[in-house]
Amino acid sequence: MTGISLSISDLEVTGQGGRRILSVPRLEVPAGTAVAVRGPSGAGKSTLLYALAGIIAPSRGCITWGDTDIAGLDDSGRAAFRRGTVGFIFQEHLLFEELSALGNAGVTALYAPRRDRRRIRDSAEGLLTRFGLGKSAARRSDTFSGGERQRIAVVRALAGDAPVILADEPTASLDRANADALADDLMRLARDDGRTLVAVSHDPSLHDRADRVIDVRDGQLELPEAQNA
Amino acid sequence: MPDPIADLLARLPLWMENTVILLGALLPVLVIGALVLRGFAIWPLLSALLRRQVWVSVVFTMLIAVSIGLGVGLIAQERGLRQGTARAADKFELVIAAPGSEITAMLAAVYLQPSAIPLIDGPTYAQVAAHPNADLVAPLAFGDSYENAPVVGSTPAFVDYLSEGLAEGRVFATETEAIAGARTPLAVGDSFTPQHGQGNEAEGAHGGFEYQVVGRMPLTGSPWDRAYIVPAESVWMVHGLANGHAPGWDGTVGGPFDPDYFPGTPAALVKADSLGGAYVMQAQFNTDRTMALFPGTVLSRLHALMGDIRQVMSILAIVTQVLVTVGVLAGLMMLTRLLARRLALLRALGAPRRFNFALTWSYAVTLIVLGAGLGLALGVLLTRAISGVITDRTDILVTASLGWSELHLVGAFVSLTALLALIPAWLTMTRPVVRDLRG
Ligand SMILES: Nc1ncnc2c1ncn2[C@@H]1O[C@H](COP(=O)(O)OP(=O)(O)OP(=O)(O)O)[C@@H](O)[C@H]1O
Ligand SMILES: [Mg+2]
Repeated sequence: MTGISLSISDLEVTGQGGRRILSVPRLEVPAGTAVAVRGPSGAGKSTLLYALAGIIAPSRGCITWGDTDIAGLDDSGRAAFRRGTVGFIFQEHLLFEELSALGNAGVTALYAPRRDRRRIRDSAEGLLTRFGLGKSAARRSDTFSGGERQRIAVVRALAGDAPVILADEPTASLDRANADALADDLMRLARDDGRTLVAVSHDPSLHDRADRVIDVRDGQLELPEAQNA
Repeated sequence: MPDPIADLLARLPLWMENTVILLGALLPVLVIGALVLRGFAIWPLLSALLRRQVWVSVVFTMLIAVSIGLGVGLIAQERGLRQGTARAADKFELVIAAPGSEITAMLAAVYLQPSAIPLIDGPTYAQVAAHPNADLVAPLAFGDSYENAPVVGSTPAFVDYLSEGLAEGRVFATETEAIAGARTPLAVGDSFTPQHGQGNEAEGAHGGFEYQVVGRMPLTGSPWDRAYIVPAESVWMVHGLANGHAPGWDGTVGGPFDPDYFPGTPAALVKADSLGGAYVMQAQFNTDRTMALFPGTVLSRLHALMGDIRQVMSILAIVTQVLVTVGVLAGLMMLTRLLARRLALLRALGAPRRFNFALTWSYAVTLIVLGAGLGLALGVLLTRAISGVITDRTDILVTASLGWSELHLVGAFVSLTALLALIPAWLTMTRPVVRDLRG
């Protein structure tokens, strides 16, 4: 897999009532880079990830992944982009309670092209085992603990082999050892497979392992000038 | 319908034609289903939704099932009743009575409904009996009863004709012998005293006269199952009239009767030698002194009259079903609000809009199809039960079963509601993803 680069310019996201919740004049992330995003609650971190995934349409500006400006795509175009390119880990995990761990981990197979389904399911199964959930893969997901649910959500994002991983607090519900292990895995995935990773996190161990750390405050990215060259 | 298609349908065997119509009725669902579901594996999530909302699903399914069941039951019942009454009239090819209401004469002669109708006299009866096209002519001398069951005077030949062979015993040979219908309480060997009149108007017993049951008819599926058939001679005798035969009669009951000693009969049954013969006789005896009627024709006129009611009924049934389904779909729309977060999650993960559309639509259609299937079963059970009650009350054997028209109706219902289900499915696509995602 070849990772893809990210280039943002003049980005602005407005919320209800025209309130500006995020503005990013300029950001360049080369392919295969692991970026950590931190900042206080309500700063706009999740909003940034949503915009990067095309879940939110920005009111202005460009978000260019590889050579596609997703801000210029319509709703279906952005969904197709997510399908093919993005693995997303949600802050609240968001699992389908009545599906099994494996059912959740492989849920994207249900609407993937027929030829990819087998691969997604196999990959989900392998990753569940790798994250210590192989034995309980058939159990309903609402019987799992918070940390286990988080790992299921991570596997779901990884199973599709997407070149871009967007993670919102992926280690929040985990103990130190598991958090470190997951941080290692995410970083390895980014580096070894050349994926591009943007992870929102309060976890210093994740910041340490990242290629780059970005601070968000009041909807503004605070980039050291040197880094943004 | 364009002519070539109508032509083609007309040339197909009936069951094939019916299958084609059913498939045609279901075609919209199949086409929509194929288009909407193409390329998706929705079953895991669909079954998850059904399991999550299991009680809601059950209630919605039952609502649809009950409305379909009632509609289907009504239609099947009506047809069963039509077939049952026609079957009960099968043997009564041509009935000759004094001029009056055809329907009254038919109800009295075929279904043994009590009614006072004028008599036809001896010479007229003799004319009918002697007609070259007549195979069998028998008086139907009704008016007496025993414990509310009609006691009808006729001939041994009529008993043979109606029963096609007795189930037990033999045909009456003397004036004091009687044949019991299959559902009467008396057994061969029992005796009874007839009463004058029938039903609520039954007057006193015919003093001292007693019949002995010597034979029993098999089930005919008609009111005759609850009746007693006795020699016409004895009916006349207990009323103090001549016995139908000239003095010096050897006592053998049955025709031919002597016109001079024939006290009259309210009706006569005629079986002609052929269909043509029946029409000849019908034409000949429709005079100012007699009325000749085909009970089958009178019945189908009645049925045709009911046909209009039937159409109104089917429309009402469809309207009720559609209303119930609209209610169910409105409920589904509220349900999809509960599902909004899951649907938004799917969109956020990258699922195409059509996937959510397919999921919601197939959820609705699953309830509709399950409800329709259950409704058919319910309709069958319902008609069985009602048929039993009707047979019990009227002795007209009603065997209602599922027919093609019900299947067509249900097929059309499924298609129509599956089309309506596109609306809630469409609405789920217009919901704001991010807001639903934040829950
Ligand atoms: N649609 C919207 N309309 C108006 N304001 C919004 C909208 N969506 C989010 N906001 C506001 O934008 C700000 C940023 O929200 P966001 O969810 O991105 O914060 P965050 O940095 O992820 O915080 P946390 O660390 O608590 O998850 C918040 O103040 C939030 O209330
Ligand atoms: Mg957040």
